[in-house]
Amino acid sequence: MATITCREFLNYLEPWMEGERPPDAQAHVRTCLHCSGVIKDLEMIQSEARSWSAAERDAPERVWTSLRAQLEREGLIRETIPASEGRAHGVTKDAALRAGWFAGLFPRLPRPVLAGAYLAALVAVAFALSGPVNKRVNEARWLKGTQISTSPLSAQLNFAEQDSNSYVSRSNPVVAASLHQNLAIVDNYIALCEKSVTEEPQNEVARDYLYEAYQQKADLLTQMTERGENVQ
Amino acid sequence: MRSSHFVPAQWLPKANWKTAGLLVPSLLLCSAVSAAPRRQEQHFKVAAHPVITIHNPNGLITVKAWTKAEVMVISTPASDRIEVDAEQMGNRVDVSTRELSDSVAPDDMRADFQINVPEDAELQIHNDAGNVSVANVLGDMNVETVAAGVDLEDAAGYLSVKTVGGSFTCMRCAGRIEASSISGNFRLLDLRSYHVWAQTSSGNILFTGQFLPNGTYSLKNYSGVIELRFSPGDSFDLSATSLKGKVNNEAKLTPSPHQRHFMPRWGNALFGTFNEGRAKIEMTSFDGTINILKRD
Repeated sequence: MATITCREFLNYLEPWMEGERPPDAQAHVRTCLHCSGVIKDLEMIQSEARSWSAAERDAPERVWTSLRAQLEREGLIRETIPASEGRAHGVTKDAALRAGWFAGLFPRLPRPVLAGAYLAALVAVAFALSGPVNKRVNEARWLKGTQISTSPLSAQLNFAEQDSNSYVSRSNPVVAASLHQNLAIVDNYIALCEKSVTEEPQNEVARDYLYEAYQQKADLLTQMTERGENVQ
Repeated sequence: MRSSHFVPAQWLPKANWKTAGLLVPSLLLCSAVSAAPRRQEQHFKVAAHPVITIHNPNGLITVKAWTKAEVMVISTPASDRIEVDAEQMGNRVDVSTRELSDSVAPDDMRADFQINVPEDAELQIHNDAGNVSVANVLGDMNVETVAAGVDLEDAAGYLSVKTVGGSFTCMRCAGRIEASSISGNFRLLDLRSYHVWAQTSSGNILFTGQFLPNGTYSLKNYSGVIELRFSPGDSFDLSATSLKGKVNNEAKLTPSPHQRHFMPRWGNALFGTFNEGRAKIEMTSFDGTINILKRD
């Protein structure tokens, strides 16, 4: 049988992951180490994403632990909430640790560039949690998955926004006005995209726009913090 | 302050009006000179491919290429509370505006620049407000602003422009262009670029130019209008999608022989090939309008 090229096989990737496996594509995967490797990787990602959304309401602990360890290694965070403090408030140690470093990170960041790194990490986690496109997953799970991935991001960006507002008030009025005006534009897009995702949870284009809007907001808040820092 | 140099007439001897007539204008002139912006001109000899960095909070920055192997920086600070530093480190010239005291009013933090560079110079420009204008520079360029507009003419190389609200105009540019903004409008006119990536949220995007073989052209926004003008001889594969808005097309497209497109389940989409489909064009909007129109 005449087999197809790797380039042509790319066109079969999405249907392949949906279960459609035409004979020429199957023949190619049997003979091509590269493409069979890509398929294995995608299947692994798909299966991992399914296990996340099926088994857990929140992101797995390993994601937070790994992200936290990475940020600690890079010196971006320095301290954690003592376990006793968490127990005093009736929460588990892990939850207290996560909430502690998560919520208290911004005030401890020494420089705005670190805030930018943190926001970028948050957006990356949101993307990772969003999982690959799979049209067969039902709408409720899509919506839930999107909410799980964006809720902490949204909360942290709002928190960062308060900090950035106080920073930028010290900079040039023209620049400050532009930053505020554009922040309002991005907030409006986030609201529109969220509405769209709520109405059509499987709409991957709307989801992409939503994540991009969050990314823009993170970038903008970093710029606002930097501008304020420069005029101090 | 002009008033501090004014000499009341009653203080002068009555017989000396002629002296007073000379003295008062002189004092006024001195006063005007001391308040005038301190224009400064500096020259730096450079080798091939010099790097010029400019950090300025607010002002007009005009950069032009010339044939001399040197960089000329003419700066005009708006007040005497700031100063412009221009220094050379090897083949690199760093220009920056800095405040001379801790409490400089934001309005005083402004300097205008006229800079001449060799045409193969690489530029890195940060200017929050005002305007940045660059002409005939063929080296790589990175321009970042908040509210300042950016105008590039006859530029080439890897051009990266990032604004928050500033508009961006690129005329007769070549090479690789990447531009992003939140509310800035983009006008990409008569381009000869093989790679264009332009993304603005609420701004409009206008594209006219050549679609080079194997070139990729990606235009994206949330709202606003994306308009692309094509000629009968152009050759491209087109993908245009607006999730909530319209797609208007004047190009006679045929189904693409190069790739299989999956019609999206949401929004208005258009896929197809114009002539041989040598270049690849992707236009995406959330709720904006996409126009694919014939060039006049």
